[in-house]
Amino acid sequence: MSEVPLIRMRKITKRFPGVTALHEVNVELFPGEIHALVGENGSGKSTLCKCLYGFVHPDEGTIEIDGGRTVIDSPHTALSLGISAITQELTLAPTLSVTENILMGRLPRGRFGIDWAQARRLAFDALQEVGTEIDPDATVGSLSVELQQEVEIARAVFGQSRVLILDEATSSLSETATERLMLKLEQLRQKGVSILFVSHRLREIFRCATKATVLRDGELVDTLALDGVTESQLVSKMVGRDMEDLYGKRSIPRGEVLLSVRRLSAEDKSVQDANLDLHAGEILGVAGLVGSGKIQLGQAIFGAIPYTGEVLVEGRRVKPGDPRHGMAAGIGYVPDDRKKEALLLTRSVRANLSLPWLSTGHFTRFGVLDVKSEKNLANDSVSRFAVRTPSTEFPIVQLSGGNQQKVVLARWFALKPKVVVLAEPTRGIDVGAKSEVYRFMQDLAEQGAGILMISSEMPELLGVADRILVMYQGRLCGEFDPREVGEEEIAHVACIGESKTVGVA
Amino acid sequence: MAVSQGGTTPVAGKPERRGLGGRFNIGRVMGAVIGLVIVVAFLGITEPAFLSWGNLMNIFRAQSIAFILAIGMTFVILTGGLDLSVASATGFAGMVLGLSIKAGVPTIPAILITVITGALLGLFNGFLIGIARISFFVVTLATLSIYASVILVVTRGSTISLFQFSTFDPIAKMANGDIGPFPIILLIIVALYVIAWFVLHRTPFGRAVYATGSNPEAARLNGLNVPLILMLVYGIAGLMCGLGAIQQNGRLTAAVPIVDPNQMLAVIAAVLIGGMSLRGGEGGLLGTFLGCLFLGVIQNGLTLKQVSAFWQGTVTGSILLIAVGLAVLRESGAGAKLIRALRRKAPPGPAE
Repeated sequence: MSEVPLIRMRKITKRFPGVTALHEVNVELFPGEIHALVGENGSGKSTLCKCLYGFVHPDEGTIEIDGGRTVIDSPHTALSLGISAITQELTLAPTLSVTENILMGRLPRGRFGIDWAQARRLAFDALQEVGTEIDPDATVGSLSVELQQEVEIARAVFGQSRVLILDEATSSLSETATERLMLKLEQLRQKGVSILFVSHRLREIFRCATKATVLRDGELVDTLALDGVTESQLVSKMVGRDMEDLYGKRSIPRGEVLLSVRRLSAEDKSVQDANLDLHAGEILGVAGLVGSGKIQLGQAIFGAIPYTGEVLVEGRRVKPGDPRHGMAAGIGYVPDDRKKEALLLTRSVRANLSLPWLSTGHFTRFGVLDVKSEKNLANDSVSRFAVRTPSTEFPIVQLSGGNQQKVVLARWFALKPKVVVLAEPTRGIDVGAKSEVYRFMQDLAEQGAGILMISSEMPELLGVADRILVMYQGRLCGEFDPREVGEEEIAHVACIGESKTVGVA
Repeated sequence: MAVSQGGTTPVAGKPERRGLGGRFNIGRVMGAVIGLVIVVAFLGITEPAFLSWGNLMNIFRAQSIAFILAIGMTFVILTGGLDLSVASATGFAGMVLGLSIKAGVPTIPAILITVITGALLGLFNGFLIGIARISFFVVTLATLSIYASVILVVTRGSTISLFQFSTFDPIAKMANGDIGPFPIILLIIVALYVIAWFVLHRTPFGRAVYATGSNPEAARLNGLNVPLILMLVYGIAGLMCGLGAIQQNGRLTAAVPIVDPNQMLAVIAAVLIGGMSLRGGEGGLLGTFLGCLFLGVIQNGLTLKQVSAFWQGTVTGSILLIAVGLAVLRESGAGAKLIRALRRKAPPGPAE
């Protein structure tokens, strides 16, 4: 490629107090190119993206557009230069409609103020563009995380962007939605848009990107053409060492039935007539599209949402309606939305770890907290789960997603639960942390716990689960042995709701 | 139990992102500390009377009711709520104390009745907010008005003077007397802060208060009874109103039927000046104590400088705006933006 790069970022350096996030990083983006930016969490990917869309200002270095030096001092400036971004943090206004969000700042004018009919049409077209069927009149806050992400994508794609930045935009999307996005990206690429693509999912990167820039600890490791490079070569560049098998090995004998679910229906009908058995030492996967009810199935089992039917742990019925009953029965629950449902963002690592320990009375003597043993267990958890933090008193917000997720896992695993429900346990975390999470799950199963792993990521279900159930429109409608089937078969059931091997244990 | 598997990375001392780290807890009370130091230094130099022991102790005495009420407000604001009814509830409990003394109830039972009344008023707020899930703003705005009006109805708007009752003497002594060099009420306040600190940081309930304010859904999903916690938090605020009422009557030697609207503002202002966020989940009693002290010193300074008391609301309000404004700047990083903008406005040097 001999042409002038559309974007040239030269010697970008960004320091935050106490840490250099980027050190003299060079990246060039050419028109009609999908350029992947890879690296572990904390490697500086997001910071680099933020420099490009004006959210963060580099301390040193320059950005050139079409060969001319430019200062991008705000996301607004970036937009006016044709640079738009889709980030992992949703930036939608939750109380406004989908239409208003997509057309924010550019609502069409009619004779009497805003031309709503026209606006709705434009929004509808934008949504069609990304191939999703969301009601343009729906309130954004009422949509699931995935659908919100699709709205965000529609909004970014709607404008006339020359450069599109996707910073973990797919982390909350299901496989099919991701697939649609990939097609859309390819179309944009052919139109000459240049795309900077950040994702933890290497498969996506290999599918769509032609080039990759690898960052490690804020330093540029390499920029390489992806042709002829293998996943593990790329990963070892990111991690700086060779990775063992990502999913680890499974050889846990299946024990007695720990958890039984009988004729469970959620009150909001998102789950209907679900039956399943989970054995000691087993990792049971639940696959399904977004909106299939798989998340609600987990919530109901834990008692976070109301339901009818029965949940039994070791044959004893768990009283529905309150997470406290689920906890008392020995169920732990890791929600899919870490920030909204799991973390105390204003608090320390220790306060986050001990959150479920408060009500179980683990550290209470005569109504008083035994802070010393709390600290001990917190320290213990931090080292056992390899949480990278300077201390247990460090604010949780400052940890990377992967380390935050390890804290959430550790808080439950320390209670030695009989059953753990994990919803999207590796959402938005890097490859290194993912493989650690899988190992922790396997260790827990080895100690005799049963694990229900609800996930939208097919490869991890196939790699980690002992059995996979598939949910379709609120019903469990298929069971698979991951050693015998491939992704396609499961995806087929998840989309159509039918298979040859119907039958639930 | 803590067997680390092979390949486990040791706990690295590598902060993953942005430093600034664990220090922000200190940062949040810094405003109050700096303000306090400046004002104390200024008054100490310009007003020789200011640093006298008697004057310093007077600051605590004058501010004593706010000190007590602010404890309850701290609990409430930690959960992300607000209690607008504190002054009214204090007046209400004070009226009950006045009526009890007047009716011949002995000192200790009268005190107990007052404290329980305060707690019940708070629990009523808490029930509506926590269990019935009505917005704290609506509930406490309503009870602010109801409690204040009930006082007027019951007393027909007249003050119950108490100095003539011998059963009231211990209360007056508690409010105004000294033990050695210290006012009794200062010792009581310090004790209350120590107890409240202990509850907040050494009991599961206190932690639950923080957790509820930080993320109520996460608190619920980790087994905490959020409605009950909310109800109890307003109950504590009410309990403090009961205690505050005793001090208030003690200082006035009467139960006054008129609720001072500035009292509620001053209490909320003290807590916010102490660095607490209205979003909840962060901050603590140290900040509240400093915030109360700061406002007390300001008030004292105004008196020493012979500024009309009419200015006090303006001063308190302005300090509140500055304190919270600075906190907003700090949190949004707007300060850094401002500095950058200023730098860019500077003549284009070779650096750019």
